[in-house]
Amino acid sequence: MQFGVFSVSDVTPDPTTGRTPTEGERVQAMVQIARKAEEVGLDVFATGEHHNPPFVASSPTTMLGYIAAQTERLTLSTSTTLITTNDPVKIAEDYSMLQHLAGGRVDLMMGRGNTGPVYPWFGQDIRNGIALAVENYHLLRRLWREDVVTWEGRFRTPLQGFTATPRPLDGVPPFVWHGSIRSPEIAEQAAYYGDGFFHNNIFWTMDHTSRMVNLYRRRFEHYGHGRADQAVVGLGGQVFMRKNSQDAVREFRPYFDVAPVYGHGPSLEEFSRDTPLTVGSPQQVIERTLTFADAVGDYQRQLFLIDHAGLPLKTVLEQMDILGEEVVPVLRTEFEARRPAHVPSDPPSHADLVAAGEDHPHARTSPRARQQAGAAPERA
Amino acid sequence: MTRLVVLTAGLSSPSSTRMLADRLTAAVEDQLRTRGEQPETTVLEVRELGTDVMRAMLGGGMRSPALERANAAVAEADAVIAVTPVFSASVSGLFKSFLDVLEPGVLAGTPVLPGATAGTERHSLVIDHALRPVLTHLGAMVVPTGVFAATSDFGAGGGSGLEARVRRAAEELVQLTAPATGAPGVSGTDQQQTEPQRGGGRARHADPLAEAEAAEAEGSFTPFEELLGRPT
Repeated sequence: MQFGVFSVSDVTPDPTTGRTPTEGERVQAMVQIARKAEEVGLDVFATGEHHNPPFVASSPTTMLGYIAAQTERLTLSTSTTLITTNDPVKIAEDYSMLQHLAGGRVDLMMGRGNTGPVYPWFGQDIRNGIALAVENYHLLRRLWREDVVTWEGRFRTPLQGFTATPRPLDGVPPFVWHGSIRSPEIAEQAAYYGDGFFHNNIFWTMDHTSRMVNLYRRRFEHYGHGRADQAVVGLGGQVFMRKNSQDAVREFRPYFDVAPVYGHGPSLEEFSRDTPLTVGSPQQVIERTLTFADAVGDYQRQLFLIDHAGLPLKTVLEQMDILGEEVVPVLRTEFEARRPAHVPSDPPSHADLVAAGEDHPHARTSPRARQQAGAAPERA
Repeated sequence: MTRLVVLTAGLSSPSSTRMLADRLTAAVEDQLRTRGEQPETTVLEVRELGTDVMRAMLGGGMRSPALERANAAVAEADAVIAVTPVFSASVSGLFKSFLDVLEPGVLAGTPVLPGATAGTERHSLVIDHALRPVLTHLGAMVVPTGVFAATSDFGAGGGSGLEARVRRAAEELVQLTAPATGAPGVSGTDQQQTEPQRGGGRARHADPLAEAEAAEAEGSFTPFEELLGRPT
């Protein structure tokens, strides 16, 4: 099981001091958070991608490349990479380059983006969101797996004999997750390719998250990638911890009350009851997080949102110390103890995918292409 | 069985909005029984969902369990009666916010009888100027006759015409409501034994995930190859 942090990169005033960090401070803070993740023994750092204020993370591979140079073990990921508004050609090249620079410590998560005005800035239209995600991702798979691609589709200019450079590290593309809160088509897409499925698990009830994940699991099995409980699942989560839970609540409440997205709405208590938000002692976070596996089955990656809503960097780094020292070691043991042997502990690493070889579905553009070419009867 | 959902957005108790909603409900139920159908009526007092509505609106769209049940009731309704008080020359803000936090599409194709109440007859066009466009936007089939009741209507005798309007609107609503499967003169389907279906129409679900789950269960799930379009 992997643990990490994911950042949305918001520049938000600290409501307790009124101070707003500069964009430069926020960018540097994200880098420090990533380095801290490795230092305290976390496995993953993931950055969001946004192209509008108050967010700074418009250029994920630039940031992740810089972090790669300052870390040795950390897996670098995204949350999410916009498969709708980015040109798949550019995604293919940027992330192959990052793979080489990071020695394979890279995977990425596809997402659509839900802000309508952003799409036309990149020549697209949000009404085509799902169709863009479907077409662009399939092209991306080809660009990473076929040395020479001739392609024509609906949303970008045709490609004639095009080769994306550099080729993926060791000829093996990075592992891909598909993130969606509520679109069944995306769960289906992840299942079809045998990719991972990530649920952000922050704004919705655990019941809803569980239904989305289980739809993905059933379809993963339907497409013959393994048993439903072997599908690769990641979850988000949101925590704030102090030794005494009352102190955690007292300190976090002013940030919660005015936070972007849900501020001025539900109370901290209501939101803690209805969503996976946990504000309290490390033990409370451990107990709550373990219940996630009861809801979605044993899963492979847990990412925490800890650096938003104007929380000062010092506080965020303290939270990461608590995660690394008190929470994650216990979670590793407990999750490992409950996981059946046939369920993978971690999502596939670069080394795993290299070892899996070219018969593995990950190595093929369409997982079933080979079966179809051999005229094998399609499974019902 | 015909599922009738009544949305009533009055704030006081007793409220004249609820009184109008009850009269409309009784008239619609009578009409349905005349047609040989058994109405099953759910009344949603929007006031009781008020804080849930605001939390959903400000909390990133997450509906409380109570609001989720209301959403499902509306989604599964065969017909809806929607009655709002008039505030500042328009529908109640709470009523509008309630509609805003429902899953998009839950009212699509559903027959709706609109009603409104106010202190004075001078607001009687609110149904046509404010309420009807909202319901039309949501894809509802809105009956031609909206029923407006001013305070004076409740004091007046038959001369105000309220009773006649109630009856006419109820008739229109029932005419638009597809006959229940299994009702006399309508051939039943097998579906009714497994899951109650709206009369003669397609089953609608409260959200895309529920729709996908149902499609998966009945084997009509859209496989990914179809989303992918053509082989590339």
